[in-house]
Amino acid sequence: MALQTAQPRSPTPPALETRSTAWLLWLRRVGAGLGRPLLALLLALVAGVIVIMITASGSLVDRFNASLLAYGYLFVGAFGNAANLSFSLVNVTPLIFTGLSVAIAYRARLFNIGAEGQFAAGTILAAIVGLKCSTWPGWLLVPLMIVTGALAGAVWGGIVGLLKAWRGAHEVVTTIMLNWIIFYVSDWLVSGPLQAPGQADQTLSMPPQTHLPKLSVLYNQTLGHFLPTISQPEQYIVDISFLFALVALVAYWFLMTRTTFGYETRVVGENPRAAQYAGISVKRNVVLVMALAGLFAGLGGTLQLMGQYPYEVIGQVFRNDTTGFDAIGVALLGRMTAIGIFLGALLFGGMRQGGSLMQLKANVPGDLVYIIEALVLFSIAVQFLPVIQQTIVKRFSAARRPTVVAALAGGVIDLDQEPTNGAEAPTMNDPLLPGTGRAALADGQGQAQTPAQERQHQQNGEA
Amino acid sequence: MFWPIFLRVITSGDLWQASLQFAALLLLPALGGVISERSGVVNIAMEGMMLIGCYVGVVVTLASHSVLVGLLAAIVAGGLLALVHGVVSIHLKADQIISGIAINVAALGLTNYLNIVQTGGQGIPTLASNLRLPVLNWGPLAQLPFLGQVLFQQNVVFYVTIVILVGLQFLLFRTNLGLRIRAVGEHPQAADTAGVSVRLIRYACVVASGLLSGLAGAFLALGVAGTFNSNMTAGRGFIALAAVVFGKYTPLGAAGACLIFGLGLALSVRLQDTGIDSNLLATLPYILTIIALIGLVGRTVAPAADGVPYEPGSAE
Repeated sequence: MALQTAQPRSPTPPALETRSTAWLLWLRRVGAGLGRPLLALLLALVAGVIVIMITASGSLVDRFNASLLAYGYLFVGAFGNAANLSFSLVNVTPLIFTGLSVAIAYRARLFNIGAEGQFAAGTILAAIVGLKCSTWPGWLLVPLMIVTGALAGAVWGGIVGLLKAWRGAHEVVTTIMLNWIIFYVSDWLVSGPLQAPGQADQTLSMPPQTHLPKLSVLYNQTLGHFLPTISQPEQYIVDISFLFALVALVAYWFLMTRTTFGYETRVVGENPRAAQYAGISVKRNVVLVMALAGLFAGLGGTLQLMGQYPYEVIGQVFRNDTTGFDAIGVALLGRMTAIGIFLGALLFGGMRQGGSLMQLKANVPGDLVYIIEALVLFSIAVQFLPVIQQTIVKRFSAARRPTVVAALAGGVIDLDQEPTNGAEAPTMNDPLLPGTGRAALADGQGQAQTPAQERQHQQNGEA
Repeated sequence: MFWPIFLRVITSGDLWQASLQFAALLLLPALGGVISERSGVVNIAMEGMMLIGCYVGVVVTLASHSVLVGLLAAIVAGGLLALVHGVVSIHLKADQIISGIAINVAALGLTNYLNIVQTGGQGIPTLASNLRLPVLNWGPLAQLPFLGQVLFQQNVVFYVTIVILVGLQFLLFRTNLGLRIRAVGEHPQAADTAGVSVRLIRYACVVASGLLSGLAGAFLALGVAGTFNSNMTAGRGFIALAAVVFGKYTPLGAAGACLIFGLGLALSVRLQDTGIDSNLLATLPYILTIIALIGLVGRTVAPAADGVPYEPGSAE
């Protein structure tokens, strides 16, 4: 009944909003958008301090100082100088791609746990092309590898969408299964058909003409002719795939906010039944969204393979790699917005890099970063701020807000079922997504009426 | 070349002993998954709960010089981590998938972190044989040809697992409590109306899944490996998740799935001479699960309210 109860309570219909209220609403949305991730991060960092203090030795003050010192090195190691920053950006690039992969799926309310698998599929397929066609010229081989990797990711993600649309198989289970399938397949390839002669469990390096140039080197060769050049460009190891990641962020933003496909995806995510009424093919959208999610992740894997030393795939690498899972934190922290994903990737990628310096200098294991990351995930999952807000609202006003329930594993949306009277429609006010909550639906109401509304209209007409 | 080796391998007691051991190791977390999902709480964190069980089991065993204390500590540790998942997903109604991922990440980070802090990166030494979970001595039964090796030379946890399996199947489908658990997972509103405490049942089931996963961790670290390594569960919790789905959310079904997966694992090690790659064979559980999901061998359907937090009074 969420739809029906939500409607009459809207204080002002969207059309009647004055300019100032719209501005205030925007400000509130930005505040909420920033507030929750920042609070989550703050809670996680405080908890990290506690973890360090428990395991450190000495007096309470010593322990506290030790934790501050550790955080200091964490920050310096991540962003302290240009060289460290360039290392961090190397981590950030795949996180942006996989974060986008998770985010685009989440916009359609699909939980893509399979970003790591799609990442692996892209890498391994691109590696096959690179190794089998190693004599081809770079202008042909580079695009071919990129396209192959992206398509491999798209296929690996698209399978998930197909299984969901065709049989209603839940994407969380299928993505986990597909992850492990591709992990083992890549291990098989690396230790068998693609194995480098005389080496255990690794492929040959990709042919040199496919190596992507470093950003600093590229800058010196182009803009460096007009502007001051960078000395010792080789020490800044971030390659041009970082630029690709930035382009991907813009493409994602454009796709989601400026195209019909993005609009349809959001409607499907908010309310599949409404989407169906509006003539959107939900099944088609689910398949496309998952394929696109896979495409982003596959691209990330491919570009990392071509951009970073040693330009090869080694055995069991994907099994132990956490990029695709960190991406879930990145996307959630970034609240599925392009700029948020960029900041989230910067944070997580930087922490990964800074963790090693922290371990070296402050003697705090770099694995602390995982603990912080887990706590960020917990804080986001729990959404302390909305919980506090709701408690306050409940206390001070009689009006109760509609319940927020994200239908997950069991709540598989039955795409074949005819819409009933809206009683079981999934609720739509997921606080994770500020811009796609009630406001986004309000945008859509000009075009897509919800089943409940439509029925009301019909009844009014009959009366 | 293939068939002679295959026949020799398939008829050896050694293979079946290993298969049953692998199967039991997968079955414990799988049973945890079954009971948790049956009560309506999605649990993809068996991997993390197992890993915590491994670590705590080994550390406490070394500290207390008693494998029994270590075993209990491992079980409790798994249960505590599950309690976190319970509080977050039942009480705070958080997203259960995110919570599950967070627990997996936290377990990996915490065990590595503590391991490094504690041993200075040296790693934990291998346990002496008197500090391991023993193989149960069945006397003359163990001397039976074939059957003796397969059934009566197993680790003590193996027999515990079988007892738990039978008990859980009976509990879920033959008792009042089992009916309540299933009702809470299918239609919590109805169960609540009938006077069943949805929260209590869900908490109990989630914690039970943690206890079982912790036991599995102890089995792995104290019984099989005899030490702790970073990320030593190596995806077993996810195979267990596959077994839950493949086994259609029933204990016996999960047991059947674990048997197939365990046989696959045992075979993959032993068939390398025949040219079948162990990595390719290892994909079998996951492929079978997807086939089960899309309904080619009888479609798997999750409990209706699985993953949906319960809001008292939200009944239509």
